[in-house]
Amino acid sequence: MIDGTIEALLAVTLVASFAVLVSPDRYAAKLATALSLLPLAGSLVMWSGFEPAGNALVDGESAIGYMSQVEWFDLGGITLQWFVGVDGVAMPLVVLTTVLTTLALVSAWTPISERQSQFYGLVLFLEASLLGVFTALDFFVWFVFWEAVLVPMYLLIGVWGGPRRKYAAIKMFVYTNVASLVLFIGFVALVFGLGDSVATFGLPEITQALRDGVAPDGLPGVGAESLKLFAFLAMFVGFAVKVPVVPVHTWLPDAHVEAPTPVSVLLAGVLLKMGTYALLRFNFTMLPDIATDLAVPIAVFAVVSVIYGAMLALAQTDLKRIVAYSSVSSMGYVILGLVAYTTIGVSGATFQMISHGLISGLMFMAVGVIYNVTHTRMVSDMSGMADRMPVTVGIFVAGAFGYMGLPLMSGFAAEFFVFVGSFQSTVLPSAPVFTGAAMFGIVIVAGYLLLAMQKTLFGEFRLDTDYEVGRAAFHDVAPLFVLLLLVIALGVFPDLFMEMIETAIEPVASIGGGA
Amino acid sequence: MTGTTPFAFEFAPAIAALPFVSFLIALAFGDRMPKGGALGGILATAGSLLLSLWVFVTVSGGSAYVHDIHTWTILDAGGALGDVNLHFGLLLDPLSAMMLIIVSLIALLVHVFSLGYMNDEGETGLPRYYAGLGLFTFSMLSFVMADNLLQAFMFFELVGLCSFLLIGFWFREDAPPSAAKKAFLVTRFGDYFFLIGVVGIIATFGTSRFAVVGDAAAAAFPVEAAKVLGVTEGTATAVIPGGMDPQLWFTILGLLVLGGVVGKSAQFPLHTWLPDAMEGPTPVSALIHAATMVAAGVYLVARMYGFYLLSPTALGIIALVGGFTALFAATMGVVKKEIKQVLAYSTISQYGYMMLALGAGGYVAATFHLMTHAFFKALLFLGAGSVIIAMHHNENMWDMGGLKEKMPVTYYTFLSGSLALAGIVPFSGFWSKDEVLYEAFVHGLGTAGTQGTLLLVAYAFGLLAVFFTGFYTFRMVFLTFHGEPRSDTAKDPHGVRWNVKGPLAVLGILAAVVGLVNMVPVKKLTGANIDFLHKWLKGPEALKAQTSVAHYTDGDTSLLHEGAHYVAGTLAGGEVGTVLISAAVSLGLALAGAGLAYRLYNVPEPVEHTDKLGAAKDVLYNNYYQDEFQVFLAERVTMPLAKAADTFDQSVIDGAVNGVSSVSLFSGRRVKRVQTGLVTNYALLLTLGFLVLLVAMAATGGWF
Amino acid sequence: MAVPAEYYLVLSAGLFCIGLAGILTRKNALMFLMSVELMLNAANINFVAFSLYWGNLTGQTFALFTMALAAAEVAIGIGIILVLYRNFGDVDVTDAVGMRW
Repeated sequence: MIDGTIEALLAVTLVASFAVLVSPDRYAAKLATALSLLPLAGSLVMWSGFEPAGNALVDGESAIGYMSQVEWFDLGGITLQWFVGVDGVAMPLVVLTTVLTTLALVSAWTPISERQSQFYGLVLFLEASLLGVFTALDFFVWFVFWEAVLVPMYLLIGVWGGPRRKYAAIKMFVYTNVASLVLFIGFVALVFGLGDSVATFGLPEITQALRDGVAPDGLPGVGAESLKLFAFLAMFVGFAVKVPVVPVHTWLPDAHVEAPTPVSVLLAGVLLKMGTYALLRFNFTMLPDIATDLAVPIAVFAVVSVIYGAMLALAQTDLKRIVAYSSVSSMGYVILGLVAYTTIGVSGATFQMISHGLISGLMFMAVGVIYNVTHTRMVSDMSGMADRMPVTVGIFVAGAFGYMGLPLMSGFAAEFFVFVGSFQSTVLPSAPVFTGAAMFGIVIVAGYLLLAMQKTLFGEFRLDTDYEVGRAAFHDVAPLFVLLLLVIALGVFPDLFMEMIETAIEPVASIGGGA
Repeated sequence: MTGTTPFAFEFAPAIAALPFVSFLIALAFGDRMPKGGALGGILATAGSLLLSLWVFVTVSGGSAYVHDIHTWTILDAGGALGDVNLHFGLLLDPLSAMMLIIVSLIALLVHVFSLGYMNDEGETGLPRYYAGLGLFTFSMLSFVMADNLLQAFMFFELVGLCSFLLIGFWFREDAPPSAAKKAFLVTRFGDYFFLIGVVGIIATFGTSRFAVVGDAAAAAFPVEAAKVLGVTEGTATAVIPGGMDPQLWFTILGLLVLGGVVGKSAQFPLHTWLPDAMEGPTPVSALIHAATMVAAGVYLVARMYGFYLLSPTALGIIALVGGFTALFAATMGVVKKEIKQVLAYSTISQYGYMMLALGAGGYVAATFHLMTHAFFKALLFLGAGSVIIAMHHNENMWDMGGLKEKMPVTYYTFLSGSLALAGIVPFSGFWSKDEVLYEAFVHGLGTAGTQGTLLLVAYAFGLLAVFFTGFYTFRMVFLTFHGEPRSDTAKDPHGVRWNVKGPLAVLGILAAVVGLVNMVPVKKLTGANIDFLHKWLKGPEALKAQTSVAHYTDGDTSLLHEGAHYVAGTLAGGEVGTVLISAAVSLGLALAGAGLAYRLYNVPEPVEHTDKLGAAKDVLYNNYYQDEFQVFLAERVTMPLAKAADTFDQSVIDGAVNGVSSVSLFSGRRVKRVQTGLVTNYALLLTLGFLVLLVAMAATGGWF
Repeated sequence: MAVPAEYYLVLSAGLFCIGLAGILTRKNALMFLMSVELMLNAANINFVAFSLYWGNLTGQTFALFTMALAAAEVAIGIGIILVLYRNFGDVDVTDAVGMRW
C-alpha cells in the first residue's frame, strides 16, 4: 500500500537537491531557497491534515498517518520493506526540519560565497535524509537515512567550515559512525533474538512483539533478559552520542565551532533531535522494562548533562561554543523527561526537541549574523554591539531569554512540562530530587547568557577586529525574526504541537509503568 | 458563577491588553511618533486605570470573578490527578481590584513623569523606554489578575525581564548592564525555588488555582490543602511524594514559593540587586523597584495566604525574614550618600515590614502597608527624580542642600512622603506600619511556644527599624532640601515642568490621606467603624460565601487559628491599652529617629557624622559585605568551578576521545612497516602464514 | 599400480619446495617466473597423480587448464619483467620497492 505523500515529500526534496547541485553558482542560493519552500509547504499541509490517533509503534497501523508499506525482498526469514509514516511524535519533527532548513538556507546567503551550488544542494540532501529518518518505520529504511545524514554533514563541515574544519568533520563522522555501528549491532541482535516472532524489520512489529512479552531468546547461549539489556545499552550508547549526553559529547562543540552558521543551525536544530527521537522510539518504546530498571543511572546522566553542560558553557569565551555547550545542557532535559516515563514528562521531552530546535537555531543564527560583520566570535573581542546593530541585538536578547526559559516562549513551556512530568514520576525513585537538581540549570543558563550579553552586546562600542560594522541585511535578520515569532507562538499556544504529541506519547508512557 | 457576570468583568482583560497594545505600538512605530510613544502609553494606562476603577466599584458591590481566558494546555497527569488544566485566567476579588488600581495609577503617573524626566532631558531610545514600560505594565497587571500560580509565575518572570530591560536602559554605559544582569540573576535564583514550588504544587494538587468563585467546579490548591490537613471539612485529592507528612510537605512547598518572593521583594539574603537597580532611570525605579514589581512577592504571599496559613513554620520564617530585613536594610540606609540609594534601602526595609505582617497573620495590615507604601515610595522616588533633574543628574546628597526654596512643590510633596515613610501621625505610613507592628505584637504575645517567641523577636526587629527609618528619612530630607546649597548646581537648579509637578501633587495628597481608609487604632479607641479597608478586603457577606479567598482574611476566627495556631494576646489594659502602647512606642521611636536627624543635619553646614560609628561605618558602607559575598560566590567559586570543568572536559573527556584516535594512528604507523614493498617478504609472510595455519589445523584436527 | 601415490606426492612436494625456495631466496625476476612454473607443475603432478589414482579425468583436465594458465602467466610475467628492466635497468625485484608505506 502506497500513500505517496511522504514519498512525494522525499522525492521533491531530493530532486531539488540534485537540481541545485547542477545549477550555476549565482542562482544556487535563490533557487535552493525557493525549492525548499516545496517541502515546507508539503509538511505544513501534512501537519494541518494530520489527525493524531496514537503511537505509530505501539498502536500500529491505526495510528500511522500517510502510511506506505511495500515489501521489497526476502532476506532469509526477514523481509526487507519500504515502510514510512508519521504519528504525533514524528509530525512536529518533520515540520521542524522543513522550517529550519528553509530558514537556514536564507541565513546562508551572506556567509557562503564559494561552491554555492554544492553547498545548497548538500543542505537540501541533508533535509531529505532527515525527513527520511523521522518518517521511516522500518529499521532498514531508517538506518539508511540515519547514515545518509552523515555524508552531507561531513562535507558541509569539512569543506565550508572554519580553520580546524577537517579535524571537526572527521571527529564528528567517526564518533557518530562508531556509535551507529554499536546501535546497529544492538538492534540487529535483538531482532535475531526474536527469531521467527517477527518477519520484518518493521518497527511497529518489533515493538508490539516485545511489548506483548515475546522473549528474544532466539540466539543460542544468550538469555532473553541479558539480550534485552545488551540491546538497550548498545542502542543507548549509540543514540547518546548523537544527542549528545555527557560524557560522549565532545564532538559537538568542535563541530559547531567549525561549521558555517546554517550548518550549525541544522546541526543543533535537527540533527541532535535524531538522537533523542531514536532514544524515544527504540529504547523507551521498545524496551520499557529495561528503561525503568535503569531509570536512576539514566537520570543521573541527564542531570549531569544539564549541570555539567551549563558549567562548561559558563567557562567558554567563544559565543558559538557557549551556545553549543548549552545545547548539551538543554538536551539533558529531554533525557530527564524521557526517563520520567510519565505522559507529561515524555511529551515535554518531545516538545523540548521542537522548542530547542527553534531556539538554538535562533541563537546560532544570531551569533552568525554578528560574526558576518565582526568576523569574530570571541567575547573578549567586542562590546557594545547593541549600539551598531540594534535590531539583531534585540532579537539576540529575546532569543537568549527564550533559552533561559522565559515564560510565554517555547523553552519555558517545554522545560515546565518536563519538570512537572519528572516531578510526579513514579518510575524514578526520588523524582523530585532529580527534578530539583536538573532545574538548577535554569539559574546557570541565565548566568552565562547574561554574562556573555553584558560583555558583547552592551557597554561602549568596541571591536578588536577592525571591521566596519553596519546594520545587518534584511535577509539576515528576517529568519531570526521568523524564528522568534515561532518561539513565542509555541510558548503561548503549546497545543499547536502538544496535543498531537500527547496523543502519541500516552500509549508509550502508560504501558511504561509511569503514573 | 451564579447569575450574570457583571459588565465590568467582561472588560477586565482589556486592563492588561491596553498596555500591551501600547508596547507593540511603541516598539513598531515609536520612532515615528511624537514623544517617542509616550502618548500611547499614557492613554493605555489611563484606560487601564478607568477600567480598574470600574472593576473596583463592581467588586465593592459584592461580586467576585474567576474566568479562564486561554487554555495553555491540558496535561494528562494520569493516576489520581487526571487531566491538569493549565490556563490563563482572571481572578477579580477585593485584593486584586485594589492592586489593579495601585498599579495602573502609578503606571499612569510614571508615564506622565517620564515626559519630564526622559523626553524633556533629550534622551535617545525613547521608543525602547516606552515599549519597556508598556510591556511591564501589561505583565504586572496580568500578574495581579492571575487566577493561578503558574500564570503568576509566568508574569512574575516577565516583569523580571522588563526590569532587566529598563535597568539596562542606558546600555552604552558600563554600570547599568551590569546592574541589570545582577537584578535578573539574583531574582532568577529565587525564581528557581519558586518554579520548583509551582511544579510541586501542580504535581501535588493537579491544579494551581488560587481560589474558586461560585460553585466549586474546579479545585483551588489552598482549599484542597486545608482539606488534606483536616482544617476544613471535605475530601481532597493530593499526591504527596514519598509518603511524606502532608504538613511537612506543604511547608516545603510554601518555602519553595517563598524563594521567589524573597528574590522579587528583595528580602534578605537576596536583596542585593535592588540598590544596584537604581542604575535605571528614576521613573523606572519609582514604578518597578518601589511601588509595583517589588510588591509582586508580597502580593503573591497575600494571594495564596490560605496556603501559608496552613504552615506555622513557613509563617514564622516569613515573619523573621521580614523583621530582620526591615532592620537590616534600615541600618544600611543611614549612611548612604546618594538619594536613590537611601530610598532603595528604605524600600527593602519597608517590604520587610509587609513580610513581617504576613508572617504574623496580618493579612490586612500587609496589604494596607503595600498600598500606602506604593503611594508614598513612588512619590519619594519621583520627588528624588525631580531633584535629580534639578541637579543635572547628580544624585549625591552632599552636593545638594537648600532646595526647599527653589522647588517648593517638590519639597512639600517630598515632605509628605517622608512623613508617611517615617510613620508620623496622621500620614498614611503611620496607620499601616502601626497595624503591622500591632499584629506582630499581639500574635506574639498570645501565641504559645517558639512560634510566639519568634514573632516577638521579629516584632523587636521591626520596632527597632522604626527608629532607623525616622532617622534616615529625615537625614535625607534635611540634607537635600534644608541648609545652605553645597554646590553650584544646588544654588541654581534646573526647573521642572507640570509633567513632573502634576504626578508629585497627586501622590503627595494620596500619601498624606490614604491612611485614613483604615484607622484601626481609632476604631479600637472610639468604637467608630472606620476600618474600611478591613471590611472591604473581607468583602460583604455575599462575597465571603462566594469566594474561597475571603475566609483567609477573617482574622482569628478561622484559618488563622486553625491552620497557623495564632492567638491574639493583650497587655495589661486590654485591647485598647495594647493598641495605645503599641502605637505610642512606634510613634515615639519614629519621632526619636527624626529628632536625631534634626539635631545632626538640620544645620546650615551639615557634616558627616559617620566617623562616630567607628568600625560599624565600614560595615554599613559596604552593606555588611553582602555584595562582596555574592560576588565571591560568583567569581571565586562558580567561575573557577566552571573553568575546572572546562579543563577537565578538554583534557580528560576529550583527551580520551583524542587518545583513541592517537592510539589508532600510532599503531597504524607501526603496523604499516610490515609492508616493505619487497615481493620476497610478502611471499615469506604468505608461506609462514600458511604453515602456521597448517600446524594449527593439524593440531586441532588431531593429525599428530 | 607399480608406483604408489605417495611417490608422486613426495615428488610434487619436493618440486613445490624447490620452487618456493627459489621465490624466497632469489632476486632475479626471471628466476621468480621459473620458480612459479615449478610450483604450478608441482600442482599439476598432484592433479595427474590423483586423477590416475581415482580413475577420474577431471584432474587431468585441470592440469591442462593449469598449463594454459601458466602460459598466460608467463606471458604477462615476461611483460612485467620487460617493463621492470626498462624502468630500473635491471630485473632485480628488490629494486622495485616503491609500492609500500
